[in-house]
Amino acid sequence: MKPSFLKKYGLHAILLPAALLWIGPLLWILVTSVKTRVEVFDASSGLFPQNFIWDNYPAAMSVAPFGTYMMNSFLVTGGILVCQIVTISLAAYAFARLTFPFKNLIFSLFLLQIMFPIYAIFLTNFLTVRELGLMNSLPAMIVPFVASGYGTFMLRQAFRQVPTELSDAAKLDGCGHLSTLWHVYLPLVRPTLIAFAIISIVTHWNDYMWPLLVTNSESVRTLPIGLGLLAKSDSGADWTRLMAATVIVISPLLLLFVIFQRRFVDSFMHAGLK
Amino acid sequence: MFVLKNFLMRFPFQNATKESLVAFAMLLPSLIFLTAFTYWPILRSLYFSFHDVMLGSDKIFFLGWENYERVLTDSLFWKSFRNTAFYTLITIPLAIVCALLLAVALDTKIRGVALYRSAFFYPVMIPSVAAGMVWVFLYAPGYGPINGMMDALGLPKLEWLYSSEWALPAIMVMSIWKYSGYFMLILLAALQLVPRDLYEAAKLDGVSTWHQLVHITVPLISPTIYFVVIIGILHSYQIFDYVFVMTQGGPADSTNVLTLYIYQNAFQYQDIGFASTVANMLLVFIGILIALIAATLGRRVHYLGR
Repeated sequence: MKPSFLKKYGLHAILLPAALLWIGPLLWILVTSVKTRVEVFDASSGLFPQNFIWDNYPAAMSVAPFGTYMMNSFLVTGGILVCQIVTISLAAYAFARLTFPFKNLIFSLFLLQIMFPIYAIFLTNFLTVRELGLMNSLPAMIVPFVASGYGTFMLRQAFRQVPTELSDAAKLDGCGHLSTLWHVYLPLVRPTLIAFAIISIVTHWNDYMWPLLVTNSESVRTLPIGLGLLAKSDSGADWTRLMAATVIVISPLLLLFVIFQRRFVDSFMHAGLK
Repeated sequence: MFVLKNFLMRFPFQNATKESLVAFAMLLPSLIFLTAFTYWPILRSLYFSFHDVMLGSDKIFFLGWENYERVLTDSLFWKSFRNTAFYTLITIPLAIVCALLLAVALDTKIRGVALYRSAFFYPVMIPSVAAGMVWVFLYAPGYGPINGMMDALGLPKLEWLYSSEWALPAIMVMSIWKYSGYFMLILLAALQLVPRDLYEAAKLDGVSTWHQLVHITVPLISPTIYFVVIIGILHSYQIFDYVFVMTQGGPADSTNVLTLYIYQNAFQYQDIGFASTVANMLLVFIGILIALIAATLGRRVHYLGR
């Protein structure tokens, strides 16, 4: 069966406009960030600027400490990921390979966390973090995400695919559970680990509500919070500078996405399956 | 000594106990954090909902069901509830239909598949605050490009986020843009597992593309659709970010949603007891929604898919 030409181009006729519509907002951000303020409010000036104005970028960088924000985003996202890898590897190994009482009950308790994300329980978590004296610190943005029911689930599924002969062999060689986990299981499930890491990084790099609640000074704010504040402080007055700031905030992840496109796509594609 | 040894031999729990201990030690790090930041907050919210608690005060008074009576007669609660339900029940199905059509179109060997995929998927990479902000700009009544396009098409210009009628639909359109690509990818993964010869056979029998979609594709990937519905509902919590950035719940509370209403009660009116009660109502709503979906869609999935 060969597809007819009409069918082949018919698909493009639908997909191309849709894709342009989807890219529109990104294009708008980029184009506005090199416009002058006058052009933004002048409908007759057309989509593209007359001259590319790069001044908006230094202006955005000088109005808020984006370097500090980026460092904080990096530390928070990295901190969450490192802690998560430790907790979910240990828990997933126990669920996949060990027998112990109340196993199913405890596993459903882990899954319960997926149903109750931070958006649903932010209020009492806010009080807990305040009582722990963590307010306005980087750990405040990390601790609620250290354990991950979703990550444990993903990794448990992957660990179950590992042939038991391999871990039996490791046991004969005198490996304990921890060294079996480290030397046999983790290397074998690398694709799953990478998939989980990418999803975790995208989620927490972009987090808004929780960091907003637990931070109140420049020194600990992350990129999304900084951008939100900038937007609030000049509401609609200076779109060119704001869009330049937006480009600064969204470019790290988008660049990673462009470079590791296949990895990103595969990770999100297979995250829920298997 | 012999008796003891005999006893131990008969109940080989020695080994089992050791394995259990190892298991619990491995679960402990997760369980500590789950307890502190998932179970304890839920229990505490339940406790607070029966009390009068103010933010920053140590005094707690027992109220019984008073907070719940207040919630059920509070018109703003019902308004936020309606907005939340409206947003979830319309946005998620629309985004999934959109995602399914895109996935089917991209599960072919047309040119530029990878480019198309990225074009639809990239909004997932953009922080909710940046997305919300850009769409405020796009929706700007005076100089925004959306009104420009409406004008060019001969349609009336709208006030969008400044209109109590259009603000919530405007946020819903943005959400469909933000999440369809994510759902599309998950559905694509499932589509790639559908045996090609099924379509070949259907084509030979003269089955139309639309009927292939409804009678072959959808039933075969129904477990994944079910999964996407659940993911979608959990993502709909994120409307807090959009509303917070784009409208602050306005105009006239037309975009107030339960998560924002919890925030307002807790941090503007400092009423932790009442805010906890609203939070519990939200959990009940999501719980009922997921249970309903599991009972209807979930059951059909097993019947058809396996």
